[in-house]
Amino acid sequence: MSVEDGQRTATDGGGADAVAGFLRGMREGIENGLGPLTAARRAAGGLPESFRDALDRTAERMRGDYAEDEWGFDPEFADAVTPAFEFLHDVWWRVKSTGLDNVPAQGRAMLVANHAGSLFPFDASMMTAAIRLHHPAPRWPRFMVLDWAFGLPFLSSFMRRVGGVPANPDNATRLLEQDELVMVFPEGVKGTGKPFSERYRLQRFGRGGFVEVALRTRSPIVPVAVVGSEEIYPKLADSPSLARMVGAPFVPITPTFPWLGPLGLIPLPSRWRIEFCEPIDLSDHPPEAADDRQLVFDLSEQVRELIQNKLYENLVLRGSAFL
Amino acid sequence: MARRIVVTGISSHWAGELARRLERDPSVELIAGIDTDPPAPELERTEFIEADIRSPVMSRLLPALEPDTVVHCGFLWYPAPGKPDRALHEINVIGALQLLAACEKTPSVQSVVVRGSAAIYGSEGAAPFFFTEDMARRYPLKTRFQRDVGELERYFDNFARRRPEVSCCMLRYQPEIGPDIDTPLVGYLALPVVPTQLGFDPRLQFVHSSDATGALEAAVRNPVRGAVNVAPSGAVSLSRILRMAGKPTLPIPHPLFGPALTQLGRQLRMGGTYNDGVRLLRFGRGVDNRRLREDVGFEPAFDAVGAVRDFVEKSAGRQLVRVPGPRTVADVVARR
Repeated sequence: MSVEDGQRTATDGGGADAVAGFLRGMREGIENGLGPLTAARRAAGGLPESFRDALDRTAERMRGDYAEDEWGFDPEFADAVTPAFEFLHDVWWRVKSTGLDNVPAQGRAMLVANHAGSLFPFDASMMTAAIRLHHPAPRWPRFMVLDWAFGLPFLSSFMRRVGGVPANPDNATRLLEQDELVMVFPEGVKGTGKPFSERYRLQRFGRGGFVEVALRTRSPIVPVAVVGSEEIYPKLADSPSLARMVGAPFVPITPTFPWLGPLGLIPLPSRWRIEFCEPIDLSDHPPEAADDRQLVFDLSEQVRELIQNKLYENLVLRGSAFL
Repeated sequence: MARRIVVTGISSHWAGELARRLERDPSVELIAGIDTDPPAPELERTEFIEADIRSPVMSRLLPALEPDTVVHCGFLWYPAPGKPDRALHEINVIGALQLLAACEKTPSVQSVVVRGSAAIYGSEGAAPFFFTEDMARRYPLKTRFQRDVGELERYFDNFARRRPEVSCCMLRYQPEIGPDIDTPLVGYLALPVVPTQLGFDPRLQFVHSSDATGALEAAVRNPVRGAVNVAPSGAVSLSRILRMAGKPTLPIPHPLFGPALTQLGRQLRMGGTYNDGVRLLRFGRGVDNRRLREDVGFEPAFDAVGAVRDFVEKSAGRQLVRVPGPRTVADVVARR
């Protein structure tokens, strides 16, 4: 990724002479017995600074000298893919976010949102983009991903590197104990797999496991309402036989998929609104309250109702879905 | 109190290292090693007893030694040329049964320490990223080795229930790495070009070999009850390991990876297919080591990244095949 960046800046700034000079320097370096990366770095002396930085970064990555935490989250990689998500955020879906002040700038917190769209958690990426772009103290949130994605090639390693972890209470608990910002989608596959006709109608919030985790780790819950994600892949029907064949929880039939082939995977450019609501403070309850089923169900229902109301409010505020 | 310690599988690297460390301790009165193969020659006062732990002779042998501690290192992890999958099962399961039967007849035994495996947790894509000791058997046991570990743990659990006065410690080891050891996974990392599974980048934890012995010794000295994960802190992805080692990789589609690994078997010094390795190198596995640090009181000297770095630095000369460096390539180009 950084190599491409580097080359782009070089041609923008230095021009052909600089590149030729760099290649000459590199050859001399290798002839003098330097490793290719060291030689490249020496030779880059005459090049624009951005290119030198990119080269340094590449060399560090090639040696394995990069930050990757125990969850496999790689901030440099996440930074590198950010432009793609910024494009989706600013241009494609024209996301408008409100209430970002409700996301704590530090310390643990659980963001609880409605889940829609499809198998790729675009709602999580847009919430991340909103926090990264507009929050006064941008931080990298971690998000819970449908188990199924973690058994797949490419998708599994991609998700992990940008901060995703398989959705289970153990992972959520450990992340919150490490004072991270964790996004959970209690609707799970019931939310993403519901037909277009049921859009913005919240499904059951699992068994309230997210409340248990929040109580046990004494983390505030920030309810989030995401409007727009329901229109990106309007699911008209389902193909259970195809789903069984590929081992997916469901395979959506949309107006464009599978009719247009891979082109049908392009999400529709709906207009989005994301509202981060006021945190629900659970610190009055002792951690043992997590074993109180009634309390857990009540809190879960309270969060669900709040998000449902905010969804309706934001639907009205958004107006037309696509224009 | 003078301690009398019996170690099974004394020919293995781990048992040998443990015995070497225990030999230095004057309070250990007897170290007896049981195995079919002789131990490393440099052991001085370890008594080697040539016996097969699968044979009923164990029930007469063990009470005569009057041990207070039995360390079971005779559990084999990897199929080897002379010991294919099936032999492994025999040794691992029948051996454990005979050993426990012998322990039942030995009233002097106060603690049993087993070098088991974290394979009991399995390697699953959607698993918790850090298994704690109470999360065993969340997933069905898929490979033969996993089922062997499952049986081993069940026998020891039953034994611990029947003999509550004996403290039974099951150490669940993540795979080891180190410049001084020779396992299929170490061999895999030492390949000149390392095949990986296309699109998969597992999170791994390798225990540094010195920490592995250290944890075993700590568990012998401070026997705790129940299972204890033996792993470094943190985790490291395979792609990062290979970059740190400076190895070129060859990504191949994952259905072909198992057969490819079997083909490489000779170079990796293993017999038969190593299914656990294939799954581990696809989905990875992470475990939590809090119990090891807090209850056993052993702080691993290397974290996940440190263990790999130490291995890479100290085994730089171990390359099996010389890869032409950029300088050689430049020479060749210049000569043309």
